Amino acid sequence: MEFHVSFEGLNDFAAQFWEMAKDRKVFAFHGEMGAGKTTIIEALCRSKGVRDVMGSPTFSIINEYVYPENGQEKLIYHMDLYRLKDEQEIIQAGVEDCIYSNEICFIEWPEKAPHLLDDSVVHVYISLSSQEERIVKLLLPSGSLEELS
Amino acid sequence: MEINQSKVTILGIESSCDETSASICRNGEILSNFIANQKVHEQYGGVVPELASRAHLQNIVPVIDIALQQAGVSLSSVDAIAFTQSPGLIGSLLVGSQFAKSLALSLNKPLISVHHMQAHVMANLIGVNKPSFPFLCLTVSGGHTQIVKVISTSEMQVIGETRDDAAGEAFDKSAKLLGLPYPGGPLIDKYAAEGNSKRFQFAEPQIEALDFSFSGIKTSILYFLQKETKKDPDFIKNNLSDICASIQAKIISILLKKLKKAALQTGIRELCLAGGVSANSGLRKSFQELCTNNNWKGYIPAFEYCTDNAAMIAITGYYRYISNEFSDLSVSASARAAWS
Repeated sequence: MEFHVSFEGLNDFAAQFWEMAKDRKVFAFHGEMGAGKTTIIEALCRSKGVRDVMGSPTFSIINEYVYPENGQEKLIYHMDLYRLKDEQEIIQAGVEDCIYSNEICFIEWPEKAPHLLDDSVVHVYISLSSQEERIVKLLLPSGSLEELS
Repeated sequence: MEINQSKVTILGIESSCDETSASICRNGEILSNFIANQKVHEQYGGVVPELASRAHLQNIVPVIDIALQQAGVSLSSVDAIAFTQSPGLIGSLLVGSQFAKSLALSLNKPLISVHHMQAHVMANLIGVNKPSFPFLCLTVSGGHTQIVKVISTSEMQVIGETRDDAAGEAFDKSAKLLGLPYPGGPLIDKYAAEGNSKRFQFAEPQIEALDFSFSGIKTSILYFLQKETKKDPDFIKNNLSDICASIQAKIISILLKKLKKAALQTGIRELCLAGGVSANSGLRKSFQELCTNNNWKGYIPAFEYCTDNAAMIAITGYYRYISNEFSDLSVSASARAAWS
């Protein structure tokens, strides 16, 4: 599935995204520096009702936000593996704990941890089509395309 | 529990991200401020971890030991233990918070939980040349960019902050786009010193009020470099100093425009810098110019108190101690950035 997303169209895209993603929890975001990974993740979090101050987790590695669901506070982990050297370091930073926490996880630079991501992960590929627009491709886990189309 | 009021000695512990650090502060004066380094591992044995956050576990005992030794203070004469409670990487914060709680319990001394970002601001109260209240603080680091209105040692308000990347990250990622090693912020500063800052222009973020945005400038630089290297593959190499100077000038102007706006809006005439990016020579110079031109007073802490360190935790602990603001043992570490 491919979307053309402009800055103005971010909120509509976020709504569509959650409709498709349904109950999926772990999302890996691929795209070069400046592609807009953090910006799109922020829109997805806001769409879930996150009111925290949000930002890039490049330095902090894991950011936590809360959103309301059925009268309860639920967590979102926003992670960035950019600064981490190898999978050992990634595990030590607590990334694996988050992935298996059954909370929503957004992972930037997932290429650094291929073995930590199983088949249930939704892969999102972001590329620049122009300075104002991004192409966002969604790769849902195999076998699920039919049910979602 | 003993509360000492005559000579107050605070042990500060910081472990929110990469650095494990401990500091001793007596009556507002920093006696030691030690950050874990390679030497600790050589002296105390064990493998040398690089960035692994849980390396804090290996570091914490020797680091506190060295901070006490350097200050010439025994653990029994410490009056309270201050630690970073939030925000940060939860695994890292837990090491410092659990250690601080255990120590407070075993020594029967009060515990003081400190917010890492408030501590960066409080670093301005170390030393003789201190701002008077109220003051404004621009905190700029790899993970944060905030303008804080500081009314007293315990009353602070974030009046502006970044909506995306931090200023330090903008420096580091720009450097990466230029092919410099990460984190390359200090290299941008170095090359910028020899360059023409007016040669290249980058997009101005459109963010209302006192907030910041730095992700747009990253994309603007990415586009600019793609376009120019298509024409000349050696464009970066041949123009490195001018590109660095132009990027640096842009980031600094974004920061200081908002700081100036905050000063004009609040009428506050005492301005401070804090955080690791305040080591940037261009920022220091432009900040001093801003203050001089407007007849405002400008303060920048010594560099060792700008990057992540425990002295800022200890000084905050000292002010909390004298105003009787303690935490109980039920306090827990939190990764979230909220102030209270």
